[in-house]
Amino acid sequence: MTMDRHEPFEELISASFAGDLTDAERDRLDAHLDRCSQCRTTLAAFADQRRIMSGLRHVAPPRDLGARVRTGIERGRFAATPWWRRPAVMFAGVGGSLAAVAGALLAIVLFNGEPAEPEVGQASPTASIASIASIASLEPSETPRPTLPPIATPTSTPDASPAETASVQPSITPSPTSNPVVEAPEPDVVMAVTGPVEDLAFNVVDGTTGDETPIEDSVGDDAEDPVGPSGPPIGAELSPDGQWLAFMTEIGQRGVNDVWATRITEAPEPADPEATPAPASTVEVGETVHLGESVAGSPFLERMSWSSDGRYLAFTLADPETDEPDADAWIFQTHDGQALPLTDTGNAYAASFIPTVDDTTNLWVSVAGDEPRSYVISLRADTEITPGDPAELGTNAANGFQPLLSPNGSLAIFWRGRMSAEQDSGWVFVENGAPYLAAHDVDGGTYAFSSERTVFSGLAAEGPGFRSAAIAWGLDGDAYAVWDTGWNGDAAEGQDPYPDPIRVYFGHATDDRGLTPTHAIDRADVDPELMIVDVEVAPTGGHLLITVRQASGGVMDAPRAELRLVTRNVGDVPDEVEVLEVPENGWVGPAVFRADDEWDSSLAP
Amino acid sequence: MAVRGPIPWDLPAVTRRAVDSSETAFARLFEEYAAPIHNYVLRMVGDPDRAADITQDTFIKAYRKLDTVTEATSTRSWLYRIATNTAIDDMRRRRMVTPMGDDAPAFANRPDHRPGPEAQVMAATLDERVQRALMHLRPNHRQCLLLSDLDDMSAQQIGDVMGLSYAAVRTLLCRARGEMRRALAAEGFAR
Repeated sequence: MTMDRHEPFEELISASFAGDLTDAERDRLDAHLDRCSQCRTTLAAFADQRRIMSGLRHVAPPRDLGARVRTGIERGRFAATPWWRRPAVMFAGVGGSLAAVAGALLAIVLFNGEPAEPEVGQASPTASIASIASIASLEPSETPRPTLPPIATPTSTPDASPAETASVQPSITPSPTSNPVVEAPEPDVVMAVTGPVEDLAFNVVDGTTGDETPIEDSVGDDAEDPVGPSGPPIGAELSPDGQWLAFMTEIGQRGVNDVWATRITEAPEPADPEATPAPASTVEVGETVHLGESVAGSPFLERMSWSSDGRYLAFTLADPETDEPDADAWIFQTHDGQALPLTDTGNAYAASFIPTVDDTTNLWVSVAGDEPRSYVISLRADTEITPGDPAELGTNAANGFQPLLSPNGSLAIFWRGRMSAEQDSGWVFVENGAPYLAAHDVDGGTYAFSSERTVFSGLAAEGPGFRSAAIAWGLDGDAYAVWDTGWNGDAAEGQDPYPDPIRVYFGHATDDRGLTPTHAIDRADVDPELMIVDVEVAPTGGHLLITVRQASGGVMDAPRAELRLVTRNVGDVPDEVEVLEVPENGWVGPAVFRADDEWDSSLAP
Repeated sequence: MAVRGPIPWDLPAVTRRAVDSSETAFARLFEEYAAPIHNYVLRMVGDPDRAADITQDTFIKAYRKLDTVTEATSTRSWLYRIATNTAIDDMRRRRMVTPMGDDAPAFANRPDHRPGPEAQVMAATLDERVQRALMHLRPNHRQCLLLSDLDDMSAQQIGDVMGLSYAAVRTLLCRARGEMRRALAAEGFAR
């Protein structure tokens, strides 16, 4: 993915066809063309291409297009009430649950320089980052911190309603009164993104203080000509020490993603004064590092994992410039701001870091294929990273793909099935694909999965199966969410498809039923025409924070998204939905929850 | 082969028409832009039925928002942006079921009523191969390339449509040309 010496000139050649070159650029290009036959060939090829494109057949629109437009206008089928004008009752009834969740607010904000004027009749935002920040912190609960139980043999009761079982085991549809709450002080909440994308100014906003950190690619090769993100953020992960925020942004419309890391705070004081402090970073607070770009289109490619000591971020890049998916695991080293490939096989995906022990940091890396396997690769602070084959670099081979460990490392959700490579999505499952929940066993220096069971109940173990899905754990290590489910076959039809690609499934590891259709959040929580971008599980395990992308197609609409806090209710009681931050004309989200020192100290297995 | 003549994009008169939300203004807007928008969308999605639906939805949305167009707004970019977003939404919905790469250039197999059978056969073959190459591009590459080479937009105008910076468009367009070059080569076009 390194830039060759012809690349800058190819861009100039490309731009020259629309007269987009400055005089200086034109002179530079002409001089280069005089001595570079390769670029002359490129010029000729691009010129041919433009000629071919201009020769495309002009196809007249259907004769009845005008009548169809007129009919559509008169029917008013596009006259649905804009989201910001919908009755407030839809988002009502959240006060108690908000108090149960909110601590301080950390936000990432994407700003445009000139927010558009609100339309006539537009309501004021129902909440703002500042107002969320002012919400009272959670009172420490007297409920004991739940221990992570062994995974029981499934006793599938997919039809049982949450209401029927809530009293005998941890609720799958928790409410503030029934859900176990972590004993440690509540980790701080959240983050958001506001503002259209036209001026492409990003900010990280700390919800506690309201401080904003502008995001600009200002490190390394890009320092002299900083280029920030060019599209909206779609995922974010905060390092456990709170120093770094890693996030992904779309490049324009869906197709390619950028990966970034912004240093947002100074290093915290170590909880254990005897512990070896992490090395100071050469990246200053407020600086952003561009880590690479990747094919988008699969949740497997959009996962990022921080090591528990905050030294490393693991992520996956699939080269968008190659015809075949060329995915490899990468490591971002926070001490020197370098992003380095960890693998070189073209079918390797970063999975999860195992909580750090001593000076060795262990990472699960997965190899896609007919029988995907995962390996534990050790990273040592005193050893340079040299890319290689995970099967040779790693130890502890295990069947399964991309295990996502719970925050304390005791549980894992991983995938099994047969995978195949697709140009637009990287590797996805094509047969028997399914996520499994298992205990993550640590025995000395060996790691294994045991007591596994399928995450989704009531789906055939063999057959078309899942293609992919996005998964997130809550900080309590019990609650988890699954969304963006892709299913290769025909989903079970009926009133609601199962698995439903446009709904979030919310479950708990301690619920041995796994996920069932009743674990999907209410349809009304996120309208079908909207799109779920990202989901975070609140530290209480009782709430979901969903970044919801608005339907596009409006007038000069930049991409827009808002944050919705969803509180699950049981039985016939509708979920409670609150919009945490309403973008006037922009993007809010994704959010992250910030763990405090006390919670962080509990990470050790 | 029909040759597209220059279209007086972005003339003040056009903008004035858009600002004036009268029925007459919308009718003239439709008359002026329906064909190019339809062709752009058709090349984006490669299917005439979907292209017609998307074009239809584009103009319905435009009608409902006509009063928000200002003098400073490029009517052309505004319309293309609506069309682009509508097409993206359509592709995104379909992607849940069918991978993008499986989008077949179905329009190439539909009857073409233009005269000149031999020339038409040759043109259709060429057209089909180019469209097939286009469908191998990532959607954002395809958009960018079409806006540049089919609709003669500058990088700044493409940025207005796609919500990208000038620099980002130049980079994206170069990558799109590189990708299209490989796709055309796979279809047997030399160089």
